[in-house]
Amino acid sequence: MKFKGKSFIAIVLTPEPPFSDWFQEIDRIITRSPGFFIDRPIILDVRGSKIPIDDLEHVLKELKARSVRVMGIDGVAGTRLKEDMPPSFSGGRLTADVDVPEPAGATEGAHGKTAANSKGSQKAPKVSGKPTGDATDNDMFAAKASSGKANGKAQKSATDALLTPSLIEDGNSIVITEPVRSGQSILHPDGDVTVIGSVSSGAEIIAGGSIHVYGALRGRALAGVAGKDNARIFCSKLDAELVSINGLYKVADDFDGTLRNVPAQIRFENETLVFEELN
Amino acid sequence: MSNATVVVVTSGKGGVGKTTTTAAIASALAKEGYQVCAVDFDVGLRNLDLIMGAERRVVFDLVNVVRGEASIKQALVRDKRLDNLFLLPASQTRDKDALTEEGVASVINELRMYFDWVICDSPAGIERGATLAMRYADEAIIVSNPEVSSVRDCDRIIGLLDAKTKTAEDGGRMPKHLMITRYDTERAKTGDMLATDDVVDILSVPLIGVVPESKDVLKASNVGLPVTLSDENSPASKAYTEAVRRLLGENIPVTIPEEKKSLFGKFFKGRAA
Repeated sequence: MKFKGKSFIAIVLTPEPPFSDWFQEIDRIITRSPGFFIDRPIILDVRGSKIPIDDLEHVLKELKARSVRVMGIDGVAGTRLKEDMPPSFSGGRLTADVDVPEPAGATEGAHGKTAANSKGSQKAPKVSGKPTGDATDNDMFAAKASSGKANGKAQKSATDALLTPSLIEDGNSIVITEPVRSGQSILHPDGDVTVIGSVSSGAEIIAGGSIHVYGALRGRALAGVAGKDNARIFCSKLDAELVSINGLYKVADDFDGTLRNVPAQIRFENETLVFEELN
Repeated sequence: MSNATVVVVTSGKGGVGKTTTTAAIASALAKEGYQVCAVDFDVGLRNLDLIMGAERRVVFDLVNVVRGEASIKQALVRDKRLDNLFLLPASQTRDKDALTEEGVASVINELRMYFDWVICDSPAGIERGATLAMRYADEAIIVSNPEVSSVRDCDRIIGLLDAKTKTAEDGGRMPKHLMITRYDTERAKTGDMLATDDVVDILSVPLIGVVPESKDVLKASNVGLPVTLSDENSPASKAYTEAVRRLLGENIPVTIPEEKKSLFGKFFKGRAA
């Protein structure tokens, strides 16, 4: 059996009382671009609004009447939902706003915020691809293949080989207890990655948080891909091909030569990467 | 069911010495008295029959057996010199797509019943032929030359061994042995070759043997004799024989081949700056 994590962009609608005004706004979007909600995965975000369940039912009914297909509700416990309601949903993360197409040239209007979700089976637009080039997905092992959070930069990949004994999950960080081989790719957009062993030339680690390598780092390390400037890369022997923190990268040719093959840390400071020897 | 050990000889990169190693290891094991079968998985580019000097006696091949067109006993070719050494040749006229996973599984399972050791010669690359060759193996011999491209490809193959083999999928760990071949004593001396220590460090796989680049190997290939049979006293032959003893569980230190020094050279050794 294979588990796959897949990321999709979904449009998130936040109903605001008074609902009649809100639906007027929805209707305005639909009149302007009739296809806007068609075949898109829609998530209803009611977080923080403490919406009574009857009102929610009303909103859902109205949306259904407009052929807006709601595939999940965020911000309300699943136990409170009625039988025929879409399932409760959580764990999204914001990406950039989606612009409502404005054929009439109107200025106002972005209404949906988008979030990524991984449960949708609909053909939703996919989150932009892998952050780096050549990794093939047939022997990647991804950190988790379940509840998906993703943003525009990172995407979880599926796995043929979840090396279960070697992947120890602890909250948001994962520990890999064997060498990461050439061609393998560790994708963990949610947190830290710790490798006990070396990361070979041609391998890559992509982490939302920091990367710790207790061994030689000879491949690529991309930390903070979820937009974290304070992510760092640590290794017992720096011989990397490329390091990156939050998208800012440096290739081996541009490294300070004195830090070759020594224990080092790399951090992000004032829009540059700072390399430091670890003692 | 016999408790045969299935060993895959693999490397990723071509031309590093997989086939030579397969032939040498298989014949050295046979010389120890084991029932040994060498299986050529390089469908379409078979060579093992040439190296083992069996090319003129091949009737059926692996693809015939996988497809049920011949029995294993019909396809096996017995070695001329050692009657406990057999070869299951690959087909030269087909390609790797002719192999199916189920077919390979049943062939390997049947071979397990007849032999003590089954040595699979993997084709180069990481595609179907190579993945099928390693699929049902119990142990792997990784063949690498002391150079960066070969080492990186080996690293990739080790990753696949830990992900795509039956052993790995069942949650086990495949024992791996590193064989460094074409070790050039001349270049090792001048330092323009990766040191064995570096290769072992990069791959983190225990070393089973270091085989020097030698004319004996080429000569042996041309006359269709595995090097371990043709010239037992050549350094390459000795290296393979030692490797086999390590494969059998003996704990002997690996000898790194050295240039034979003349008395004059020995005299000056240690004085160089």
